Amino acid sequence: MIETYLPLIFMLVFAFAVAFIFMILSEWIGAKRTTPEKVTTYESGMVPRGTARERFSVKFYLVAMSFIVFDIEVIFMYPWAVSFNETGLAGLIGMIIFVIILLAGLIYEIRKGGLKWD
Amino acid sequence: MIDEIFLSQLKQSVDLFLPETILVATFIIALIFDLIYKNSRYLIAVISIIGLVFSGIFLVNQSTSSAAIFSGMLSFDPFGNFFKILILLTTIIIVLMSVFSKELYEGGRKTGEYYILIVGMTFGMFLLAVANNLIIVYLAIETMSISSYILAGYTKEIKRASEASLKYVIFGAVSSGMMIYGISLIYGLTGSLTFDAINSAMISSDISGLTLLIAGLMIIAGIGYKISAVPFHFWTPDVYEGAPITITAYLSVASKAAGFAVLIRFLKVSFFDSTNYANDEIWTLIGTIDWQIVIAILSVLTMTLGNLVALWQTNMKRLLAYSSIAHAGYILMGVVVMTDIGVTSVLIYFFVYMIMNLGAFLVVMIIANKTGNEDIQKYNGIGHKAPFVSACMVIFLISLTGLPPTAGFIGKWAVFTAVLKSEYIWLAVVGVLNSVVSLYYYVKIFRNMYIRNFEDDSEIYEFSPGTYILLIILAVPTLIFGIYFTPLLDWAESSVKIFLGV
Amino acid sequence: MSLIDIAFYFFAILIIASAYIVVTSKNIMYSAFALLFTFFGVAGIYVLLNADFLAITQIVIYIGGILVLIIFGVMLTNRITGVDIKTGTMSKFQIWMTAILCVIAAIGLILIFTQTNWNTALSPTKASTIEDIGTLLLTDYLIGFEIASVLLLIAIIGAALIARRKTN
Repeated sequence: MIETYLPLIFMLVFAFAVAFIFMILSEWIGAKRTTPEKVTTYESGMVPRGTARERFSVKFYLVAMSFIVFDIEVIFMYPWAVSFNETGLAGLIGMIIFVIILLAGLIYEIRKGGLKWD
Repeated sequence: MIDEIFLSQLKQSVDLFLPETILVATFIIALIFDLIYKNSRYLIAVISIIGLVFSGIFLVNQSTSSAAIFSGMLSFDPFGNFFKILILLTTIIIVLMSVFSKELYEGGRKTGEYYILIVGMTFGMFLLAVANNLIIVYLAIETMSISSYILAGYTKEIKRASEASLKYVIFGAVSSGMMIYGISLIYGLTGSLTFDAINSAMISSDISGLTLLIAGLMIIAGIGYKISAVPFHFWTPDVYEGAPITITAYLSVASKAAGFAVLIRFLKVSFFDSTNYANDEIWTLIGTIDWQIVIAILSVLTMTLGNLVALWQTNMKRLLAYSSIAHAGYILMGVVVMTDIGVTSVLIYFFVYMIMNLGAFLVVMIIANKTGNEDIQKYNGIGHKAPFVSACMVIFLISLTGLPPTAGFIGKWAVFTAVLKSEYIWLAVVGVLNSVVSLYYYVKIFRNMYIRNFEDDSEIYEFSPGTYILLIILAVPTLIFGIYFTPLLDWAESSVKIFLGV
Repeated sequence: MSLIDIAFYFFAILIIASAYIVVTSKNIMYSAFALLFTFFGVAGIYVLLNADFLAITQIVIYIGGILVLIIFGVMLTNRITGVDIKTGTMSKFQIWMTAILCVIAAIGLILIFTQTNWNTALSPTKASTIEDIGTLLLTDYLIGFEIASVLLLIAIIGAALIARRKTN
């Protein structure tokens, strides 16, 4: 069983190792000449203004909430797709009903402006 | 996996599932109409009523046979049908009530989603009435709960409604978490989630008693939350007070009915010997746990606390909330008996409770439409300002107390005879004492309406004809079933058959 | 100790340690991020139990969805650090009672899990359970599957309804 996940484990170990080694290397070998510009908060080249502890707009939250529902919908589609050969047409019809019901939700969301930013 | 046999079974299942399918179709059609006709006031209510009535027609015409449908996930039987009809009647009355609710339409509020969610909630409760698998029970409870959380907070600008909704969500999350934990323990013990498979696992193998007790208690806690049995009732007063009156009435009847349906089915099918078909009237417990005692304790706690706390209430919705807790206790008495007679009494009581409780809430709504709140003080002199409404209220109150010649008496009589026939005499005594206590707070309303502070500016309240018709629809059966109750008895007796699986 | 044992203890310690941080941290942002590791550890346990689909679900929905929602929720507040999560209304007596109840619950659960005669099954030899889950979802559990879609639809409507600003 563990063999199935061996590539995954290797990838995880490798990713951690690479990140860790690069951090340590840059700490050890890298030159340290600090200028005021270098030590300010990195804001993609902009001059930072205000605090980072600002309140987020509630809109992010609303979008995330809708996202979760559709996320769950997608998770249900995955096993259906994998077992498509076995379930065939009946499975397809079952899935279509599932999607149609949720499609009504998406239409509702769009019409009510749930996905509009302003 | 998918072969001819499966497909033919599926077709049969879909045929028997027609009432529920109509509900889902109504739900989606109403949703789309709500998007198209944004400014109509009653359109969605009308669509919902049409859908509900259609669903009801198919429900009533369905055969009275029993079958396992959708691979044993649902049981189709007269017992489930009874509860479905009861829930459907409640829903129709609630939708009609909502049309007259001032609170709901205040400030030009859009009510499309309100009716849509009521249809969705009905769908969840229908499933709960027939669920034969714990996963379906869980899904159905969630479908019902999520709709009811939103409905309880539908008037979200009103602070107490939002508060009610939030409290409901938090308590609901805890109880459904407990329930799903119990379900997982049951699965670990028996290796199955279908009620009849749990039953055969319990007969054939040795089940650890303590774990089963804890798992069962956790599931009962989840259901007990829905029927607001003490000690899972904490949300009830606040939610009932904060929610719109129509929703309060709905929660107090329909979601309780669904909860009782699944409680009885789960106990009967899972924990009683199904091999003993010969005599259906006697249920034999399997396993070492005496579930009767567990339910009896719940019942005593529920009715005693409900009645005692109701004595001090000054808000009508809160008072009726505690009164509904107490009634859940009486109904649990019928569950304790755990024979066919007990189930019959539960069915009779529930039908009667539906009529009288909806009636009482309808009066509260009508009065609140005029006075703006549900304070008991506002009922002073109502007897003179609105004579007909008050007379109806008196009928409902007498019925809620359980005195003849009203339907409430028949319900109480059925439950008490069932309890007396079993060995739980002490339970019947507690029940009678509780009924006496309940008389006090019901009389308090009566006293306020007719005797207290008769102000001489005898302004007469005018009500719309629709509310009068609704009142008559509810008040007349309350009286008739108190005198001529044979059809109700027959219907209940023919509906006790619970499908025990293949 | 086999490789699986090592993996199990690694994930178990990860779950417990990060859960401890979730509960005790004064900075709710730290709590939210520690929760990431709790969820991840649970996903790891699912993998060890051969429940690969559950592990994917755990990562996609809990880490990818719910955790993001929690972090957004945290960012809606303007005080992230130094929030006293304790309500402050607990008396000494209540704290002790809670502690005793928790200990009793813990002992009870341990007893249950060790003493019960569980209905166990051999772990499947298949490499993946996803295909079986898919088949079951569309045959035996078809009705549950369709109910789930109605449930999700209601959730969508509810979320949109509660979140919508007051209509003008």
